[in-house]
Amino acid sequence: MLEINSPEGNIFLDEEFNDLKSGNYERLKISRMELEKRILRRKTDRGTDVGLKLDPGVKLRHGDVIKNGDVKIVVEQLPEKVISVRLKTKNIIDVMILLGHIIGNRHRPISIQKEVILFPIQADSEMDVFTKLFHSIINYIEMTVEDQIFFPHSGADVHEH
Amino acid sequence: MTHIPRVGIGGPVGSGKSMLIERFVPMLAEKGYSVSIISNDVISKEDADRMRANLATDRGLLPENLVIGLATGGCPHTAVREDPSMNLSVIEEMESKHTDLDLIIIESGGDNITTTFSPILADYFIYIIDVAGGDKYPRKGGLGIESCDLLVINKIDLAKMVGADLEIMKQDAEKIRKEKPFEFINCKTDEGVMKVTEHIIHDVLLDCPPKSAMTQKV
Repeated sequence: MLEINSPEGNIFLDEEFNDLKSGNYERLKISRMELEKRILRRKTDRGTDVGLKLDPGVKLRHGDVIKNGDVKIVVEQLPEKVISVRLKTKNIIDVMILLGHIIGNRHRPISIQKEVILFPIQADSEMDVFTKLFHSIINYIEMTVEDQIFFPHSGADVHEH
Repeated sequence: MTHIPRVGIGGPVGSGKSMLIERFVPMLAEKGYSVSIISNDVISKEDADRMRANLATDRGLLPENLVIGLATGGCPHTAVREDPSMNLSVIEEMESKHTDLDLIIIESGGDNITTTFSPILADYFIYIIDVAGGDKYPRKGGLGIESCDLLVINKIDLAKMVGADLEIMKQDAEKIRKEKPFEFINCKTDEGVMKVTEHIIHDVLLDCPPKSAMTQKV
């Protein structure tokens, strides 16, 4: 087992890993929730047995690089189902507040990208749930669901269920 | 301070959380691992008292003061997810006073299918259900069943009596859990419990030998 206590860097942040930009590397695929863990044992896509036993305060992120001797392994966060909500009309404060309130009331983390609010769901059926929850503002928004890698807003350190 | 690996165990009322602990702790002790138990409940400390009597007082597998009952007073999931401070303060004390511990087990009070543990509190999450809830249980999903590190399906000896088809539960668990593990067990006979113990040793303790064995070597 390859024991890892902290990553060496991140392919998106550190130039020293530019050689990995081609995408030809060994991958350790982990879900967003598993990235929160301190202890985790998983196999890479090439079969390396990795045991994460992270030092205090260390958290893995998408793109982090860990090393097995000379071999570099990249941590990849798995995509998940994410609802995107776009406001059809900008700057309607009531709609914006209600939207935030309803999503927050369901204890979902959010991400905001170019005036689109994103939050994760577990199943496609939750699209119906949120359509009902948003009924009073449904004419002011557009909703889509797709699989993507979700990065929560750093201020949204919430539990979810 | 040394971080002692922690396993959280959640599941509905009566699914066998305490019983599972009572069954796998002797298996871990047999292999030399030193464990402590924190048992959460809303108002009662009955489960903690029973585990202490069985595992500590009668069998001497761990000191009596390392089986702790926490009456959390509110929704069970609050104490292990939203605000785990009560549990964390007990763990902090354990980590400072009992550095020889290999593992801390945290039992949640009985709760619903959305139970999860805060990753701040538990490194590994076992969700336990039983066949008496019907063979639809794994299929219905929910955050506990889907996101736990190990799904345990207990009381398989009752399957025929309650009309639960274990093959259906197996197929549904495989579908909803994808590559994540699940185990069928019967805590009354220990059937399957060693598999749970092996998951803990492999996935949480990372196959490290007990600390006591390491100390002896030195």
